[in-house]
Amino acid sequence: MLDAAEALKIVVVEDDYFQRTYAVSLLRKLGHIALEAEDGATALEVLRESGAKIVICDLDMPGMDGHTLVRHVRDEWRGEDESYVHILMVTASSQTADREIALEAGVDDFMLKPLELPILSARIASVARMIRHERLLEQRKRGLEEANTRILRDLEAASRAQRRLLPDVGRDIGGLRFHSEFVPSQILSGDMFGFFELPNGMVAFYAIDVAGHGVRASLKSVALGHLLTAAYFNSYAFAEDGSPDPARLVERLNERFFEDGHEEYFTMFCGIFDGATGRVSVCNAGYQPPWIARVRDGVSLLDLGGFPVALLGSATFETEHLTLDPGDLLVLCSDGATEADDLAGQAFGEPRVQQVVETCKDRPKMIPAHLLDVLDRWRDGRALDDDLTILICERTQPT
Amino acid sequence: MIRTTKDDSTGVLIVEPGTERLTAANATQFKEEVVACIDAGENMLVIDLSQTGFVDSSGIGALVGVLKRLGSRGEVVVCGLGSDVRRMFEITRMNRVFTAHTDRAAAVSALAATL
Repeated sequence: MLDAAEALKIVVVEDDYFQRTYAVSLLRKLGHIALEAEDGATALEVLRESGAKIVICDLDMPGMDGHTLVRHVRDEWRGEDESYVHILMVTASSQTADREIALEAGVDDFMLKPLELPILSARIASVARMIRHERLLEQRKRGLEEANTRILRDLEAASRAQRRLLPDVGRDIGGLRFHSEFVPSQILSGDMFGFFELPNGMVAFYAIDVAGHGVRASLKSVALGHLLTAAYFNSYAFAEDGSPDPARLVERLNERFFEDGHEEYFTMFCGIFDGATGRVSVCNAGYQPPWIARVRDGVSLLDLGGFPVALLGSATFETEHLTLDPGDLLVLCSDGATEADDLAGQAFGEPRVQQVVETCKDRPKMIPAHLLDVLDRWRDGRALDDDLTILICERTQPT
Repeated sequence: MIRTTKDDSTGVLIVEPGTERLTAANATQFKEEVVACIDAGENMLVIDLSQTGFVDSSGIGALVGVLKRLGSRGEVVVCGLGSDVRRMFEITRMNRVFTAHTDRAAAVSALAATL
């Protein structure tokens, strides 16, 4: 006898009382739980109530015949989530053509009349193996789905935490107004940006792009987001005489993050803006050079290069100065935009970014969203391969 | 991934990344394969980027990794930089770290001249 766990519920569909009773008795002898149905309609009801996974059915029955029953079963139990019903059809040896129809309707296997115990036993054992296998696969699938959901939920929580680190845009700070977009390529971003008013009334801002993307890059970008505060800029971004010197701060970061044997580095652009004079002191450490949009003039690339941070221990950095007039813009944009390729593999490139800035330079608030829009069309709706940050620094009109 | 050609008369090893795009997806493999050449005793390398139209920040990291592994034991130069790769080298100042030659022949003879 089988133990309770191995006993299977099997529905026997047969209009002939004698044949049905005989099949039931064989199944019970094998230790299974046989459920009887005298026609197709009853069989469907018994299947619904019992949750049985195996049906042994006759082909010729008054009312709903075997073929029709099979079609009904396939319609109702579509095989998702362990719902597959295995159907064994009992036929006479002369019914070859009928077997083809039955196979098309979805029968799994045939047995010849009269039923014999060894054959029945072998067929049921084979179905039982399949059912065990299906159950195992289903359990594994569920395990993977749960793990996937958990990981995704975790990443999304981390992504929200990362976004909370970003400053609120749209406010006026010390003579500047900022507009931005922040688009991770994979939930978390290896980019970071920030801006803050310093105790001396100047404004510090920065944008960072950690090499690579995904979780590992985002861990570093978040660490940098926490490190780079107004106090940090105040302590390290000024020369001894008090004049802004952001290269000093970048040098300090290079010393702090450079490690022998690793090439985990980041690129960075940072600046200190003096609202009293409109002067901006900037340092570019390998970041995509920004554009300057002049109210009285066109848009041009501020072609500054510089070593990335933490790539070379011996790297030195330079501070450059420029002046923003009221209404002028400094447009920072990570290389996620310039390197975005279209379906033909062509990169978006610097001139196209510049074109977008030119189109919208009188409405600086619109630039980030418009650039995203143009990029989306360039990419044919495909997500970006790399993280994207757009940060517009607009010098406001003096009050 | 990488394809190497030994210039027999000078002993210079020419390395092609074997990819059109040297990016985060393959930079680690590239670096490991070139480092294996260095560990096997190669000390004069030309990285030929003429068939590699795009190098991202991870690719730059891999090139610098190769340079660091070689250290003072030898020389590594690059050649065949397309406009996008040249731009990347300028922005990140890698043009001050790597000597860039127009093509293989120029790179090999320049390296041989340092002997």
